Amino acid sequence: MIQVLGLTRRYGPRVAVEDLRFEVRPGEVLGLLGPNGAGKTTTVRLLAGLLAPSAGDALVAGHSVARAPEKVRPRVGVVPENPGFYKRLTVRRNLRFFAELYGVRDPRRVEEALARVGLEERAEEPVATLSKGLRQRLALARALVHDPPVLLLDEPTSGLDPEAAKEVRDLLAELSLAHRAILLCTHNLAEAERLCHRIAVLKTRLVAVGSPAELKQRLFGRRVVVTLANPRPGLDRALDLPFVRSAALDGNRLFVALEAPERHNPILVRRLVELGAEILFVAEEERTLEEVYLELVEGGDAA
Amino acid sequence: MRLRALILKEWAELFRIKMVLYGCLFLPLFMAGMAGFLVWQGRNLPPEAQAPLFNAALLYFLILPVMIPVTLAVYSVVGEKEQGTLEPLLATPLSDLELFLGKSLVAVIPALLLTWAVFGLFLLAVSFLLPGGIPEGVLGLPWLLSLFGLSPLMALFAALVAMLISSRASDSRAAYQFAGLAVVPALVPILIYSVRLTAVDLRFVILEGGALLALNAALLYLGIRAFRREDILIRWK
Ligand SMILES: Nc1ncnc2c1ncn2[C@@H]1O[C@H](COP(=O)(O)OP(=O)(O)OP(=O)(O)O)[C@@H](O)[C@H]1O
Ligand SMILES: [Mg+2]
Repeated sequence: MIQVLGLTRRYGPRVAVEDLRFEVRPGEVLGLLGPNGAGKTTTVRLLAGLLAPSAGDALVAGHSVARAPEKVRPRVGVVPENPGFYKRLTVRRNLRFFAELYGVRDPRRVEEALARVGLEERAEEPVATLSKGLRQRLALARALVHDPPVLLLDEPTSGLDPEAAKEVRDLLAELSLAHRAILLCTHNLAEAERLCHRIAVLKTRLVAVGSPAELKQRLFGRRVVVTLANPRPGLDRALDLPFVRSAALDGNRLFVALEAPERHNPILVRRLVELGAEILFVAEEERTLEEVYLELVEGGDAA
Repeated sequence: MRLRALILKEWAELFRIKMVLYGCLFLPLFMAGMAGFLVWQGRNLPPEAQAPLFNAALLYFLILPVMIPVTLAVYSVVGEKEQGTLEPLLATPLSDLELFLGKSLVAVIPALLLTWAVFGLFLLAVSFLLPGGIPEGVLGLPWLLSLFGLSPLMALFAALVAMLISSRASDSRAAYQFAGLAVVPALVPILIYSVRLTAVDLRFVILEGGALLALNAALLYLGIRAFRREDILIRWK
């Protein structure tokens, strides 16, 4: 649905994004993570047919953003970084205007979109009277009003209260079930982990793409934490098993990186006991997406 | 149709701004009042002597079609910039041409309607109030052609200039200043009148009309080439 083929964009001499390659399949939510200035908004604008790539291309809903952006635009719904509405006009008038530009004639579709984001009651108020979160919801209604197969969302839950953010997330989960391809830029890692099937970490270049579990494993391998009753200094160095990639003692906890904990844990435990260790717990280490993200972004400089 | 949707949205928005609304009503009424006052002063002169006054008065109605579009066009571009609505607008299937043309028509149509309306008002008032009515020969072909032929061309010229300038300018005050350039075509007949004190003649109307036609075509071409969503998005901050 979205295929990104070496997409590059420069602003004058500054490279905003370089040689991006990834895809978003129908029914998939891909999270785009990256620090400020990483190029997330630029990527959204490129994929929306708003900016021309400096090099490379992307196919969005089957059309090239470089050669036929006018065919891409009707087929995507965008929630831009700043919602952007005519503040003197009412909520309904704003949505009706954008719906007309997308070729939606039926006024019922406008009402449906309003209901979907819970704005029916505010429909006759000028947008100027809406709070930031309500405008964000209206932006989502605008992105949905023409029922596009591709959604590009630039931080759609920023500024929303927890309850409203949850509603938006539930809505997004529902939308992806309807075989839409969704690209979601966010700084909220918990949100990304809950909502996204895969995650792309961006820092001008693509640092990594994969499901949260894959990324965790690729980055940290799998580690087992052994909690000891009698931590003895040097125990980590004494572990002389061929499948142990590394071992580190921290207080009473021994961290051991293993190729396949399912197979190697029993042998590890036996050897530890031989070495005189008294074992309290053995568990697989839980990494958070935040750790993965920070590792990728901070290590990204070297790459 | 997208063009229609854009134009109706603009009007709904523009005329909700009190400054714009009152400005658009005040200026034409003021000009018509000035024109009326001018011919009223010569009410006791013989008809031959009234004709030059009428010619001077009619010039007021050539200023309106350039003044009104400038205000409206600049406002409509500045409004998009200030509200951050350009990005969602450009993300829709609206084409560059539709955006450029739509925003120009938004300014041209009310300008013409208002000009013609107050011109009608002026004629009505004058033919009732002046003892001799309107002197013969004043409302001839040259004047009618100016009002109904030149005015639309002037209004379009003004709107295009204002659009081009305000889409390029980085801040709105600069846009207003430069957009003053758009008034030049209306000054030409005034200049000619003040030198020769004669009526706007047919030859002049055709010449200026031709020149404006060529200029508008050039501006439209330039505008559509220069008016790329890419630049607008990056520049219209
Ligand atoms: N119009 C512009 N002109 C020049 N440089 C720009 C422009 N827009 C973005 N950039 C630069 O391109 C780079 C990527 O910016 P972008 O807005 O895409 O980042 P982002 O990932 O969306 O950041 P944030 O998390 O702060 O929203 C930055 O270095 C930015 O300064
Ligand atoms: Mg951004």
